[in-house]
Amino acid sequence: MFPAIFTFLVLFTAVCAAGVIVCRNTVNAAMCLLLCLVGVAGLFVCLEAYLLAFLLLLVYAGAVVTLFLFIVMLIDVRGGAPRARNPLATVAGIIAAALVVGGLASFWVRGHLAAPAASATPALGASLKAYAYPLFTAYLLPVQVLGFLLLVAMIGVVVLSRKPDPGPKP
Amino acid sequence: MDIAALQHIAATNVWGAIWPELSLGCLALALLALEIVLPRAAHRHIPAVAVLGQLVVLAGVLLDWHSPWLGRETFSGLLRHSSEGQAMRVLFLLSSIAVCLLGRLNLQKSAMPRVEFSHIVLVVAAAMMLLAQSCHFVMFFVALETVTVGFYILVSYCRTNPLTLEAGLKYLILGSLSSALLLFGIALLYGVSGNPLLSGHTPAGMHYSDLAAFLAANPHQWLAGLGIVLVLSGVAFKIGAFPFQIWIPDVYQGAPTPVTAFLAVGSKAAGFAALLGLVRYAFAPYTWLVIPVLSFMAAATILFGNLAALNQHNVKRLIGLSGVSHAGFLLLAVVSVGATSLAVGAIYFYLLAYLIASFAVFGVMAHLAGSDDTNQQLDHYAGLARRQPLLAGVLAVGLGSLAGIPPLAGFMGKFFVFVAAFQADHYGLLAVAIAGVVISIYYYFGWIKAAFFEAPAGPSEGASAVTVGWFSGVILVALALATVVLGFYQGPLGRWLTW
Repeated sequence: MFPAIFTFLVLFTAVCAAGVIVCRNTVNAAMCLLLCLVGVAGLFVCLEAYLLAFLLLLVYAGAVVTLFLFIVMLIDVRGGAPRARNPLATVAGIIAAALVVGGLASFWVRGHLAAPAASATPALGASLKAYAYPLFTAYLLPVQVLGFLLLVAMIGVVVLSRKPDPGPKP
Repeated sequence: MDIAALQHIAATNVWGAIWPELSLGCLALALLALEIVLPRAAHRHIPAVAVLGQLVVLAGVLLDWHSPWLGRETFSGLLRHSSEGQAMRVLFLLSSIAVCLLGRLNLQKSAMPRVEFSHIVLVVAAAMMLLAQSCHFVMFFVALETVTVGFYILVSYCRTNPLTLEAGLKYLILGSLSSALLLFGIALLYGVSGNPLLSGHTPAGMHYSDLAAFLAANPHQWLAGLGIVLVLSGVAFKIGAFPFQIWIPDVYQGAPTPVTAFLAVGSKAAGFAALLGLVRYAFAPYTWLVIPVLSFMAAATILFGNLAALNQHNVKRLIGLSGVSHAGFLLLAVVSVGATSLAVGAIYFYLLAYLIASFAVFGVMAHLAGSDDTNQQLDHYAGLARRQPLLAGVLAVGLGSLAGIPPLAGFMGKFFVFVAAFQADHYGLLAVAIAGVVISIYYYFGWIKAAFFEAPAGPSEGASAVTVGWFSGVILVALALATVVLGFYQGPLGRWLTW
């Protein structure tokens, strides 16, 4: 049962990832990216990394892809005539693919890192507490500073995007 | 999780030790609240509240100079408090106060919101203070990003001007690139130092002293070396050192004059404070790598800055490129840090002299800027001595100090740096630096010549109707006087230098 779900999720993720590249319509491509992220989150759940799975859903699927969709719909991109292929880009793509395949093959052949026993690994990925306690004890100051960073960013958006004040200033 | 251990960690979060930063943050929030509460007519007084609040904080820092937290680490090793940190706090407060004053002058000309400007300047100043005291990469990066995001907004503040918009976009893209380099370097260092196959590996590779211990145990790890070079590159972008200085002329020209001043002084000082922390503590075992990289940067930066400034006619570009060469002189002192105790004091004195002289010059620039802030040419200064003797005098003192003319403060700053480099046996770099000083005199004196000896070509825009208020006049004269006095008498600063 379990390997079947895992295999299904792997295939699902791969198909959606291919869809991001293949789709000509930008909105469809963004939706494929969303589904791909959902698939990856499912894989994380299978691996018992629940926190990572939910962070992925919240941050990437929830915020980043929604932002993509907003922008795509806002500037109303239409799929036009297909662009001519740049031969340099093709060569670069082939080299990149060869590097990835070579790296994976080298892992397959030579990688003999001893996997730690399953019982020995701390369930870091599963436990929200393991992240939350340091966040609000050891790293409390950076968290507070980040609050200010977000505030400054928000104020900046308001200042830069509002229309210049037309009223005469004394 | 062990509750007792957590309580022990939480007990190191001593908020009292960072009260200047906290009060700046609260002041920044209070400004926004005041804008909501006060009636519209009273809004123009809010920037004054910001300046007064910063003066109070500055007085507090000076009174609290021998704070009980000096020499200790707080916030579970995120911050290290030292008298150098106190000096940087004073420097950042001085520069943010000056920037707020310049902002009052400059933003009156363009109808841009002023309260938000003060707010962002305050938050950036507080983040710079934290950056100067951080001894942990998490704190370092978060503080640096807060500074950078604040500057993204400040640079493109007057976005109705196309040049400002261009500057904002360039700063955003190149700034993100440098942050990415820095982050990649930090990740590499953290990853290598946590590798269980290497001797001395540590799970706390983010902390400077733990990282230094790991680096000392692996003195020639190439991946760690790559990480160090990437981190140094990220910081070199912030201080505008060669080859990461390409953004400087355009951004300095496009940014509003107060922001240019803040970039030139505050951002550079913050970058050097961060660099000093890295070179002295985190990367200390890798001097074989750090010294050659920084030496190359120093020589190239001095030469590039001075040569590129030679044929600039826009004064904002000129001051930006001269700022590049000043970063080179400061790098010369950073290179000498390991060899002589004078170098650290020399850096702080140089930064102080540079701050005072730069704000004198920027103050004059803000007065003379016409309706188009980005268009400030050398020609606009023709005949300034006859029209505005006060501004011309302050300009001459400021530029003379930047050029390093004795007996002004800038000369003493360069003198200390050169002595430090001499003690550290960097004779080649010293020769390059002295050549740089000679070149720089040409363009600084070109500017002074325009102000004093050239007749105005015609009724130039803006320059005819400049009025200097008594308050700005007093501040400009005080800056000029401070430049002269610091050249003769360093007082307690001199004693502090020889620590």
